Amino acid sequence: MAPPTGTAVHLDGLGKRFRLTHDRNWTLKATMLAGHRTRYEEFWALRDLDLEIPHGSTFGIIGGNGSGKSTLLKVLAGILRPDQGTPTVDGPLSALLELGAGFHPELTGRENVYLNGAILGFTSRDIRQRFDDIVGFAELDRFIDEPVRNYSSGMYVRLGFSVAIHVEPEILLVDEVLAVGDHSFQRRCLDRFAQLKAEGRTIVLVSHDLDMVGWLCERTAWIQNGALQTVGPSPEVIDRFLDGADEPLPGTSASGNTTAGTPTPGMQRRFGGLGDDDLVRAVDLVDPNGHRMDRVGSGHPVRFRVRVDAGRADEPLTVALGLYRSDGTHVASINSGAAGRGLAYGGAPEGDGAGTVEVDYTIDALAVQPGTYELSVALHDASMRKVFERHTHLIRFEVEPSGGDHQNGLVALGGTWSARSVDASATGPRSDGPGSDGS
Amino acid sequence: MPLPRLPRSRRDLHALLPVDLLVNLTLRDLRSKYKRSALGWTWSILNPVVAVVVYSAVFSVFLRIEPSIGDPSGLHSYAVFLLVALLPWQFHVNSLTEATRAITANAPLVTKIYFPRWVLPTSSVLARFLTLLVEMAVLLVLIAVLQGHVAFQWIPVLMLLMALQLLFTIGLALMISAANVYFRDVQHFLGVALAPWMFLTPILYPLNMVPADREFLGIGYRTLYQLNPMVSWAKAYRNVLYDLRFPSAERWLAIVAATAIVLVVGFRVFNRLEPRMAEEV
Repeated sequence: MAPPTGTAVHLDGLGKRFRLTHDRNWTLKATMLAGHRTRYEEFWALRDLDLEIPHGSTFGIIGGNGSGKSTLLKVLAGILRPDQGTPTVDGPLSALLELGAGFHPELTGRENVYLNGAILGFTSRDIRQRFDDIVGFAELDRFIDEPVRNYSSGMYVRLGFSVAIHVEPEILLVDEVLAVGDHSFQRRCLDRFAQLKAEGRTIVLVSHDLDMVGWLCERTAWIQNGALQTVGPSPEVIDRFLDGADEPLPGTSASGNTTAGTPTPGMQRRFGGLGDDDLVRAVDLVDPNGHRMDRVGSGHPVRFRVRVDAGRADEPLTVALGLYRSDGTHVASINSGAAGRGLAYGGAPEGDGAGTVEVDYTIDALAVQPGTYELSVALHDASMRKVFERHTHLIRFEVEPSGGDHQNGLVALGGTWSARSVDASATGPRSDGPGSDGS
Repeated sequence: MPLPRLPRSRRDLHALLPVDLLVNLTLRDLRSKYKRSALGWTWSILNPVVAVVVYSAVFSVFLRIEPSIGDPSGLHSYAVFLLVALLPWQFHVNSLTEATRAITANAPLVTKIYFPRWVLPTSSVLARFLTLLVEMAVLLVLIAVLQGHVAFQWIPVLMLLMALQLLFTIGLALMISAANVYFRDVQHFLGVALAPWMFLTPILYPLNMVPADREFLGIGYRTLYQLNPMVSWAKAYRNVLYDLRFPSAERWLAIVAATAIVLVVGFRVFNRLEPRMAEEV
């Protein structure tokens, strides 16, 4: 496919109005009696929106809840008709607004693939050709002839995504659907997006995950109250959104000098595992004795070990780590540059393994609550201005409870309890020493 | 319409008449209808069987309604007389009942994916039409075996009649399903209207039992009665399968005119109401 050039989506003064009927259950009788004066309030979900999305670009749309993002996608997809202006869409378009919409629970996975494909505009022959790919991508070979009502929600969504992603439209609209499926499936979704992008297709992504928008999209539009707030290179727009938004969203860092959040233009985007060309060779969790592990007790010592093929880099590198809870909450980011630790120069380039450096980040007591965590790794230049590589959520590990108090929240404070008598005449229970019940 | 432009010719054709989508939705309807029921497809046979037994008992035995004598076939059987008009009528009723909810019941689909919405009521009707085809085939064989009444040579005329009824029903289904998105009263109204409609159509009794010599506001009962388009269908089906003769020219005219009007109006109403369906559904 020769990638088309020019403008894929052009919006000129787009507006969408909704009617808020106060008595939603209006009937024929009520309408007859009220004549043409039906009682409703008008609400502009989108107003005077101008936007241009070039072919082959990946474009992000961000904004708070109810800002009109999803309405915009629905207008682009032809589901809703605008009341102002007309969107010009150049090329076949497909929208992923909800995965598995249109699946019939009583039908088998196979029957639903054909049905869903037909709804998305496939002919049966198109689907037959792609059927194995679709099922393979969803990893449902064994269950494809089961009724989908027996599917887990993850299986359901995987199949829905797989069908939608194989439609191969020139323009793909995606609404927050990547928040589904397990870790490895999400990764494959991102890989698939990267592939579609490489094929010159246009992707319009609506998401609350600012990290993802930052990594995936060159340009981003921030929409608020149905109006365009800012449009421009993603890092700048996301920065302004964070400044303007009342509270930072999960997964974004509020402080300036971090690994997450705002990537520099021209960075290499990585989705999925490590490739042969990557400078980062391995990331491990090791105990103080240097033994690898995949779980660590809360409050216990741990070391993040990153193996970097620094020999292939042309300049000094800074290693940055981002620690996330599995729900996306950003726990911490650190980088070797800030710690002032000199790192990994392009030493002797000859020979295998020459110039490979092991960088450790040692934590005496991992002060986070038990749960599942993920580690992102990025390589920057010494000034942190350039990003060479970014591997998001590269490893996943468990932090286990390690006895002691039952705690809740984000961090494990690691404190001790104590109580002592302050006045002999005071009433009330007396207790001594640490470990006594503090309640 | 702000529809995505589809530049390729095959896509254009597909957008105009999404055959695969129609086929798949119709299959969904048929496949899922009797899933998880022990008797399965037997239910679709049971329905007309029970109807013919009960109606024969009540109208032929108790009320002693005499079926007309087939001209020129000479046939005189209430069961056959009833069935040749009852099966198309049940197609009519089932199609409309299911098509009314075709869009409202598929709200998750309508609000999340764009595809031509007329496909939804149309595929409901198509699914019922396939059922009618099977029922008609069974009926033809049964009356040939049990009554020695051979109507096979009339199959081409029957097919034409059924094709016209299909289009007529699609037109009605389009109107009703679209209106039901905005006024849920429609589905309740339909439930109320269908029973009297059946009694005002010559299915259980011959048309000549409707008095031609009495008048209401200066218009003959028979004339008023024939304003119901379903009268023409019942009569025409009976001509072809019971009398074994070609329906009269006026019948054909009435049928073709009703079909054309309903189909055109149906599509126009539907197109008018379609743009806001996703927000009203």
